[in-house]
Amino acid sequence: MAKTLNLTLRIWRQAGPDAPGKLVDYEVDDISDEMSFLEMLDVLNERLTKQGQEPIEFDSDCREGICGTCGLTIDGVAHGPVAGVSCCQLHMRHYRDGDTITIEPFRAAAFPIIKDLVVDRSAFDRIVQAGGYVGVNTGNAPDANALPIAKNQADLAMDAATCIGCGACVASCPNGSAALFTGAKISQYTFLPQGQPERKRRALRMAEAMDEAGFGNCSNHAECEAVCPKSISISNIARMRREYFRAALTRRDD
Amino acid sequence: MANRYWGLASTIGKKLLMGLTGLALVGFVFVHLAGNLLLLSPNPDHFNLYAHTLESMGFLLYLAEAGLVLVFGVHIYNGISISLKNRRARPVQYRKKGNAGGASYKNTSSMSMIWTGLILFVFLIWHLIAFKFGGGIEAGYTTQLSGVEGPVRDLYALVVERFGEAWFSGLYVLVMVLLGVHLRHGFWSAFQSLGANHPRYMPYVRALGLVVALVLAVGFLFIPIYLYVTGGAQA
Amino acid sequence: MKLDPKVPSGPIEKKWDHHRFEMKLINPANKRKHEIIVVGTGLAGGSAAASLAELGYDVKAFCIQDSPRRAHSIAAQGGINAAKNYPNDGDSIWRLFYDTVKGGDYRSREANVYRLAQISNNIIDQCVAQGVPFAREYGGTLSNRSFGGAQVSRTFYARGQTGQQLLLGAYGALMRQVDTGKVKMFPRREMLDVVVVDGKARGIVVRNLDTGEFERYAADAVILCTGGYGNVFYLSTNAFNSNVTAAWRCHRRGAAFANPCFTQIHPTCIPVSGDYQSKLTLMSESLRNDGRVWVPKKKDDDRPANSIPEEERDYYLERKYPAFGNLVPRDIASRSAKEVCDAGYGVGETGKAVYLDFRDAIERMGRSAIEDKYGNLFDMYQRITGEDPYTVPMRIYPAIHYTMGGLWVDYNLMSTLPGLHVLGEANYSDHGANRLGASALMQGLCDGYFVIPYTIGDYIANVDLKKVDADSPEFEQTAREAQERTQRLLSIQGQKTPREFHRELGHVVWDYVGMSREEAGLRKALEQIRSLREEFWENLHVPGRNDTLNKYLEIAGRVSDYLELAELMAVDALDRKESCGAHFREEYQTEEGEARRNDEDYMYVAAWEWKGENQDWELHKENLEYENVTPSQRSYK
Ligand SMILES: Cc1cc2nc3c(=O)[nH]c(=O)nc-3n(C[C@H](O)[C@H](O)[C@H](O)COP(=O)(O)OP(=O)(O)OC[C@H]3O[C@@H](n4cnc5c(N)ncnc54)[C@H](O)[C@@H]3O)c2cc1C
Ligand code: HEM
Ligand code: HEM
Ligand code: SF4
Ligand code: F3S
Ligand code: FES
Repeated sequence: MAKTLNLTLRIWRQAGPDAPGKLVDYEVDDISDEMSFLEMLDVLNERLTKQGQEPIEFDSDCREGICGTCGLTIDGVAHGPVAGVSCCQLHMRHYRDGDTITIEPFRAAAFPIIKDLVVDRSAFDRIVQAGGYVGVNTGNAPDANALPIAKNQADLAMDAATCIGCGACVASCPNGSAALFTGAKISQYTFLPQGQPERKRRALRMAEAMDEAGFGNCSNHAECEAVCPKSISISNIARMRREYFRAALTRRDD
Repeated sequence: MANRYWGLASTIGKKLLMGLTGLALVGFVFVHLAGNLLLLSPNPDHFNLYAHTLESMGFLLYLAEAGLVLVFGVHIYNGISISLKNRRARPVQYRKKGNAGGASYKNTSSMSMIWTGLILFVFLIWHLIAFKFGGGIEAGYTTQLSGVEGPVRDLYALVVERFGEAWFSGLYVLVMVLLGVHLRHGFWSAFQSLGANHPRYMPYVRALGLVVALVLAVGFLFIPIYLYVTGGAQA
Repeated sequence: MKLDPKVPSGPIEKKWDHHRFEMKLINPANKRKHEIIVVGTGLAGGSAAASLAELGYDVKAFCIQDSPRRAHSIAAQGGINAAKNYPNDGDSIWRLFYDTVKGGDYRSREANVYRLAQISNNIIDQCVAQGVPFAREYGGTLSNRSFGGAQVSRTFYARGQTGQQLLLGAYGALMRQVDTGKVKMFPRREMLDVVVVDGKARGIVVRNLDTGEFERYAADAVILCTGGYGNVFYLSTNAFNSNVTAAWRCHRRGAAFANPCFTQIHPTCIPVSGDYQSKLTLMSESLRNDGRVWVPKKKDDDRPANSIPEEERDYYLERKYPAFGNLVPRDIASRSAKEVCDAGYGVGETGKAVYLDFRDAIERMGRSAIEDKYGNLFDMYQRITGEDPYTVPMRIYPAIHYTMGGLWVDYNLMSTLPGLHVLGEANYSDHGANRLGASALMQGLCDGYFVIPYTIGDYIANVDLKKVDADSPEFEQTAREAQERTQRLLSIQGQKTPREFHRELGHVVWDYVGMSREEAGLRKALEQIRSLREEFWENLHVPGRNDTLNKYLEIAGRVSDYLELAELMAVDALDRKESCGAHFREEYQTEEGEARRNDEDYMYVAAWEWKGENQDWELHKENLEYENVTPSQRSYK
């Protein structure tokens, strides 16, 4: 049977990209413990709206952990206290009556705040744009089974490919580094034969794009892996580095 | 392209250099510790002979020292440059700090690399002034070694003298703890920075990191404590 | 308005080939002088934008989310069909074609479906070449599974994240073109209207969701790939941002809306737990392969599931459909669940759920076998409900999942508004009255990678496109109208939030235009929808301003369109006096309670023309002819 909770929320409010922000306290009562975290915020927003206040802006879309749109730092941890889930899959039964919860946006220089808890993650697109794909035009493909790929290679590629692009890795990283995101993408194609022709070019260009977008260095804190909703391993960061060294040392100007 | 200098100027390249120089420093520090353990010998000549042998290598020593300066220089320069960039990449801190636990290796050690590093840097200058450039033959620190002609620098005496001062030994002990803290994260991190991470072996590398940090810290801090307590061999 | 399906002549296997030959080409040097707008970056839009840019067109692509990769296609779990026949189990292009037409209950256009089946194989090739990590066998070849009751294994999949992987493939292709400069990407934009110049779609008006600015963009053709309208039900498996707005505003400018009442209900979703609920989560259909569906034999039985003895359980699917049992098609499984719940046998706090029980399967195969097969689904269920499905039966209930209806398009995927092309779920698709599992992904990519690149060239080469620019009076006028509408939403300052209206509307649509419909209910729905719409425009309260990010304003705009669409859905459902596919009219069923189709009178696509606010729509019929597949009655007994 559902229980109800009374909570204190301390939420970051910021009117616009350049406006100053601050934490504001909200008391929310009668929260069913079967709600998801975002539904709890929905309820708060409905109440605020009814009271003539401006609702809190936060982003979400699929609400089932796959689109990567949602992203909140909850009590200092990106996506909140449960490992391996994005915050849209976090449920209120993990909280207790009387809890105080601090909710902040994903913080990183490369993710400017748009409003309240919503940030702009287009820097990720710029990284992908630099090489997160196999450059094959439509219509150029041979038969799908013409290229056998060992099952475990395909599985490893899939492990890396499950990244949902949420940006929690960046938000949780004390250095605002996008190494896990970039490493996962580079790794996916490193495992696959389709990725070989552009292997060096991809590593160099994506790493460069990562730097240019203003992300920090990776100091190997591994906080990113701990918050990643897909539990993507930092071994992908190491792989990115190998790919990068290899390319940087042996490339010819192309 | 930002991938100039074989990519070493990029964030990934800088970390490669950090890892390489870091491990080189670990190597140096191990050798240094081994040499310094001679300070524990009841016969001061052991240590002085070792120091003298080193000093009389001439050109080779200069080469080694130049290498050391380069390694330190690169490590320090990159360490600072990396830390500055990281600060810019995350200008606003969370009001409420948290740690995700689980797979995370974020800890005091990893979060304080630049501070432990900078303290090591200051220590190093102080250390060199105290020992390398302090108290030479002119200052009367001389001794005779069998099989060696003429007076030899009595480095042993210098070290024992300095470590006889409580504040000096105390500070050393403190810095050696910080060295351990630096390496607690630094050692395994260097492997990860070099791209050497195989899920099968990484747990061992991490365990080894702890051992290395402990051995170096305890090994080094034992020397001042021992010399302070015992007052050295010929006291 | 005249519906001209433009189906090429000749035998069905040759139609597409001939057509491709007959279409006019544009010389490569000229392609770059043509601009094309693609709205939406899901499987349909992403693949279209990338492929067109590869051909040399200048493409502008728009999406609501902050990145094109987040389109709702990302959520598709199960897989994508193709007629590769790799498992050697009797599949063929013809069989996929046949199954799709039959699955659609004979309400789709044969020629389109055949083309879809033909192209399905190229899609898999293309995706593999892009590095999509499909599941594989140890020998390195691609793995297939049977899906949604198909008798052949023709579904390709990437764990439970097929949509994600396919979309990331298309997104990669798109970003590659962004890098070359051939595509300009405009994220965080919501299309609010299409601009018609000289009777042709020549541009769009979008609202910049961050700044509230109304921006205008001109082009030679507009391609709409904005997904389905399942969110008209308020609760659905669709994402929060899925909407009908773009399609609806095009409808109001002259694009006919076809078969709006064909909406698919998925039988296995996690049931609603309370009023606050914001979305429904789909549990893969594959669960029905091993789970048994039941309800207590006693009404309002509130004992915990495990203390209800075997003989007091009603395995109603096995009872009613001994041949197919728990594996009956989606619509039948859904409707049966609704029937038992409406009759008072439902379980859970709300009484709106049935059990899906794995007890017997766990006994038979062992817990670890079940873990291997469904582990991640079980985890997901437990995460959401807090219950352990290994020990307590799952509770499931149907939810709206896909919309077969959409803007009417001809064989070239062009709507009745010249220049406006519609791809993916947004169009009245190739799925007729019911879509088969794993066919939507196939259709989206077919449209985007392999159909539109040909047909758009033919359109551009054949019409006279004078230069227009976004400052022309037509653009200014349309932008002003969009702006005024938005302003109006803000200025009502009533009492009810847009979400409240949306929820209320959802209840009406679900109750009367949902899984089963009947005349009285539909009439009631019409009345309620109209009065809700009136109330909306008088009593809406939207907080905040236009010139910043304002989600409530976005929702309000979308709800205003749902309030119109819902009415048309009811009108369409009322008009279609037969049961077919997902459309079940209680008045038209067989003695055994099965859907009774009426091919004599209703073998047509209902394409509705907008006649103005508060005016009746005009119905246009595209009669369907079946030259290759003979319609028959479905039976799953
Ligand atoms: C939970 C779930 C599971 C599914 N599983 C399967 C499956 O296993 N197999 C299968 O074949 N099908 C499946 N489907 C169906 C399938 O995923 C969809 O039908 C298909 O992905 C739709 O693709 P699309 O490109 O047409 O639209 P979408 O992917 O919905 O993309 C719509 C795009 O349009 C943009 N957009 C929308 N409105 C506007 C506007 N007003 N202005 C600007 N941009 C706009 C959006 O931003 C987005 O980019 C599933 C669906 C759901 C909900
Ligand atoms: C002398 C001054 C020193 C400074 C300023 C310094 C600074 C740093 C900094 C900032 C880092 C972290 C870089 C990052 O963010 O990833 C680091 C890493 C490291 N340091 Fe130092 N350090 C110093 C001395 C030493 C010494 C004496 C040793 C060895 C005994 C050492 C070994 C390491 C190692 C192994 C690493 C890990 C490298 C990596 O992660 O790739 N450092 N140092
Ligand atoms: C108890 C601890 C230590 C003792 C007793 C000690 C002792 C000494 C002595 C006696 C010298 C002078 C050698 C000479 O002049 O020939 C020296 C040099 C040096 N020490 Fe240490 N040391 C200690 C710890 C450290 C640590 C932790 C570091 C590194 C961070 C370090 C780095 C150096 C360096 C770089 C030199 C100069 C070497 C050269 O130029 O040849 N020492 N040390
Ligand atoms: S790597 Fe993980 S945390 Fe980072 S964007 Fe991808 S899914 Fe999110
Ligand atoms: S937390 Fe940051 S430091 Fe590296 S390992 Fe993860 S990116
Ligand atoms: S809303 Fe899609 S991942 Fe959370």
